[in-house]
Amino acid sequence: MSAREGWITFAATLAAFLMLSAIFFLLLGKPPLEMGLSLVEFAFGDAYSLSETLAKASPILFCALAVAVPGRLGLISVGAEGQLYIGAITGTALVLGFPELPPLAMIPLMLAAAALGGAAWGLVPGLLRARLDINETIVTLILNYCAVLFASALVFGPWRDPANQGWPATAPFPPAAVPPAVDGKVHLGLLIGVLLALALHVFFTRGRAAVHIRILAGNRKVGRTFGLDFAFWVTALMATGGAIAGIGGIIEVAAIQGRLQPSISLGYGLTGFLVSWLARHRPLVILPIALLVGGLLAGSDALQLFAKVPAASATILEGLLFATALAVPGLIARWRRSDGN
Amino acid sequence: MIMDREPLVRFEHLTRRFGELAAVSDVSLDIRAGEVLALLGENGAGKSTLMKLLYGIHPPSAGRILLDGRESPIRGPADAMRNGIGMVFQHFSLLPALSVRDNLLAAWPATPAYIGRRSKRAARVLDRLSVIAPDIDPERRVDTLSVGEQQLVELCKVVNLEARVVILDEPTSVLTPAEAQRLYDFVLRLAAEGRAVVLITHKLADVEACADRIAVMRGGMLVADFAKGERTTAETVALMMGRPAATAEPAPDRFAGRPARLVLREITASAAGHVLKGISLEIAGGEVLGIAGVAGNGQTLLAEVVAGVEAPSGGDVLLDGESIARRGDEPHATPIGYIPEQPRDNAVVETMDLSANLRLRALAAGEADGAYDVAALIRRFNIAPSEPTRRAGTLSGGNLQKLVAARELGVPRPAVLACYPTMGLDLGAVGTVYEAMFAQAAAGAAVLWISEDLDDLLARAHRIAVMRGGAIVALVENDGTLTRDRLGAFMTGAPAEAAA
Ligand SMILES: Nc1ncnc2c1ncn2[C@@H]1O[C@H](COP(=O)(O)OP(=O)(O)OP(=O)(O)O)[C@@H](O)[C@H]1O
Ligand SMILES: [Mg+2]
Repeated sequence: MSAREGWITFAATLAAFLMLSAIFFLLLGKPPLEMGLSLVEFAFGDAYSLSETLAKASPILFCALAVAVPGRLGLISVGAEGQLYIGAITGTALVLGFPELPPLAMIPLMLAAAALGGAAWGLVPGLLRARLDINETIVTLILNYCAVLFASALVFGPWRDPANQGWPATAPFPPAAVPPAVDGKVHLGLLIGVLLALALHVFFTRGRAAVHIRILAGNRKVGRTFGLDFAFWVTALMATGGAIAGIGGIIEVAAIQGRLQPSISLGYGLTGFLVSWLARHRPLVILPIALLVGGLLAGSDALQLFAKVPAASATILEGLLFATALAVPGLIARWRRSDGN
Repeated sequence: MIMDREPLVRFEHLTRRFGELAAVSDVSLDIRAGEVLALLGENGAGKSTLMKLLYGIHPPSAGRILLDGRESPIRGPADAMRNGIGMVFQHFSLLPALSVRDNLLAAWPATPAYIGRRSKRAARVLDRLSVIAPDIDPERRVDTLSVGEQQLVELCKVVNLEARVVILDEPTSVLTPAEAQRLYDFVLRLAAEGRAVVLITHKLADVEACADRIAVMRGGMLVADFAKGERTTAETVALMMGRPAATAEPAPDRFAGRPARLVLREITASAAGHVLKGISLEIAGGEVLGIAGVAGNGQTLLAEVVAGVEAPSGGDVLLDGESIARRGDEPHATPIGYIPEQPRDNAVVETMDLSANLRLRALAAGEADGAYDVAALIRRFNIAPSEPTRRAGTLSGGNLQKLVAARELGVPRPAVLACYPTMGLDLGAVGTVYEAMFAQAAAGAAVLWISEDLDDLLARAHRIAVMRGGAIVALVENDGTLTRDRLGAFMTGAPAEAAA
C-alpha cells in the first residue's frame, strides 16, 4: 500500500467511525456533535483528562505489545489478559513478602517478579506449541480463565486483608511499591511501556534475529531447512510477550489500584489483542492506537458521568472503532477491485 | 470441433495490470464448448492470470468477459462454480488433514448437511475418482498422497461440479506418463460430453495428445490462436519463445570416475504414511545420479532426510565423510544445494522479496551474503519480472521455480539434491536449469536428481536408481543400452532379474 492509499484508508476509517458514533448518539437521543466534542474534550482536553486517558492507555499498550511479540512470528496469542493477572499476582507476592524493602529495590524487584510470572504463563503455551504442536490460541485462552480465577482465589482467601472487613483485596501496597508519578496517574509504567515499544521496534526491524523471525513467520519449513530454530523462537517470544503483559499487570495494581483486587483488568487483554492486530503487530503503530483507544475509554467514562449516557457506551464506541477499522480497508480494496484498479 | 456455435466464453480486449506490470494485455479469445484449448506460453506470459480473470480471482483492469454472450456475472470463485466454471490451480487447495473422500465431499455443492459414512450419496462423489485415479484409496489422508495424486484429486473435485468449462493449469507437470495418459483420455471425454476444456501447459506432448485449438501468449499478449495442425511444432515453439528453439540439449560431461562424495548409508525413516527401508547410495563428485520411481514411493521422504529437513530413524547421510543428517529437533542447516518439490510451500518465503529469497541461506546463517550476486542470478536464470524488491509471492509458478533453482544452483555447492527441478518451466528455462545443474557436477559436486520423467533421466543421468515401496530396487549404469521399458519394469515391480 502506498503512503497515499494509507492516508485515504485512514481518513475513510475515521469518517466511517464518526458517522457510526453519530448514529449511536442519535439513537440515545443525544446531540451527536456536542457529544463527540465533549468526548474529545474529556479525553484530551486538559491535563486531568489527559492523565485519565494515559492511565487507560497504559495497560492497553502493555497487552497489545504482549500480543504483538508472538504475533511477529505468526502466532495468535489471546493470553495477554491472563498474563496480566499472573504478573499482578507474582508482583504482589513480592510486595506482600518483603514489604520493608526500600523503594530503589522494591520497584525493580516487583517488576522483575511480575515479568517472571507473566513469562512463565506465556512459556506454557509456548512450550506446548514448540514441542507438541498444540495450538497456542486455545491454550492461552484457557490459561486466561485459570489466571483470573487464581487471582480471585488469592484475594478471597489467603491474601485477604482482615482490615478490609470482608472486602476481597490484599492489604494496601507500601509507599515504596507505588511507582513514581508526575501528575496523579501519569506514572513510571507508561514510560516503561513506551520504551518497550521503541526497543521492540528496533528488535523486530534490525539485525539478525529480525530476519530469522521474518523467515520463520513467512515459511516455517524453509526456516527449518536452513537451520533456524522455530521451537526456540516460539518459546522465547511467547515468554517475552507474557513478561510484558505481566509488567503491565503489576503496574496497573501498584500505580492505579494500590492493592490487588479480584478485577484488575477491564478487558484490557482483549482490547490489547485488537489494537495489536489493527497495528499489524508494529510497535510504533501500537503506540498511537493505544493512546486513541485509551482516550475513547476515558472520554466515554466521563461522558457517562456528565452527559448521562449508559455505562456500556465506552464498550460500544470501542466496538464501533474496531469494527470500522477492520471493515473499511477491506471495503475500500473491494471497491477498487470492482472499479477495475 | 464446433466452430460455428456461439462461444461459451468470450474475452474482449481483456487487460489486467498489477501496478505497472500488464500481466494480461488486450487479449481477445473465445472458448467453445466441446473443444480442448491448449494455452501455451513462457513462464510469466500471463496464462494463469488470464484464467483467473475468468474464474473471478482478479477483476479485469479493462475489457470484458462474456459468458453465453452476456456480460459475465462472476465476481469470485463461488460465482464461477455456480456458473459452471471449474479450475484446477497450479498450486493446490486441498485440505491436507482430511481424507480424499472428505475433500471431495466438502467441495461438492450437493453434499447434504449431514452425511453418513456409508451413504449412497457420498459414494457418488467417488464415481469420477475411480475413473481418473483408480489407485487412490478414498480413505487416505491427502497429506499422504504424492503431488501427482493430489493433482488428480483436485481434478476430480472440479469435475464433480459438473462444470461446463474446465480449466486445468499445468496438470501434467507432476504426472507420471501413465497418469498423464489417463488424464488425456479423461480430457477428451469431457470435450466429447460437450464441455470446454482449457489446458495450460508447457508440454508439447499434451498438445499432441488432446488439443483441438492452440492459443499462445507472450508478455501478456495473445500472439496466436489457431487450430491444431495449422502450424508445425517448431513454429509453435518459436511463437512461444519469440525465437526459434535452441537445438543443443544440455547434458553433463562424461563421468570421469571420482571418489564418492555424498553417501547415503542404510537410511531408514518414516513419516506421514511413507517409509524408507534401508537406502544406501554412493554418489561421486561429478556424477549425476537419477532416482526414478512413481511418485509416492518414498522419494519425498528420502529427499527430506538427505536435505536434513527430517531426521532418519536409522542410518546416516555423509558428505565428504562427515555426517549431515539431522539429529532430533536440533537446528540444522543443509550444506547441499536443495531444490524441493512444490517450491511455493517448501522453498521460498513468499512474504519476502526476490533479493532476500536469493540470499536466504546467508540471511539464515547470519553470514555475509557476498556469494550471492542477486542481479546476476536474476539475469542468468531469466527470472521475470526482475526487480529484486518484488515480493516473491507475486511471481508466476515457473518463475518461482527458477528463483529456487537460481539460489540453489547459482553458487558452487559440494552436492546437489534436485526434486523435479524443471517442474512448470518453459522450454528455455528447462535448458537453463539443466545447464546449471550439470555445471555443478562438472565443478565436482555430487548430484542426486529425483525425477519421474524417464526420457529426461535416460538422456542425462550417469546412473539411475529406481525406487519402489521405500527401497532402491535397482541401480543401473546408464550406458546407452538402458531402455524406458526396462526402467518401467523396475518401477512397477516386474522381477529384478529382468534387468540382469
Ligand atoms: N498477484 C500478483 N501481483 C503482482 N504480479 C502478479 C500477480 N500475479 C501474477 N503476477 C505477474 O503477472 C505475470 C503473469 O503471471 P502468470 O502467473 O499469469 O504467468 P503464467 O503464464 O501462468 O506463468 P507460469 O508458466 O510460470 O505459470 C507475471 O509476471 C507475474 O509476476
Ligand atoms: Mg501459471
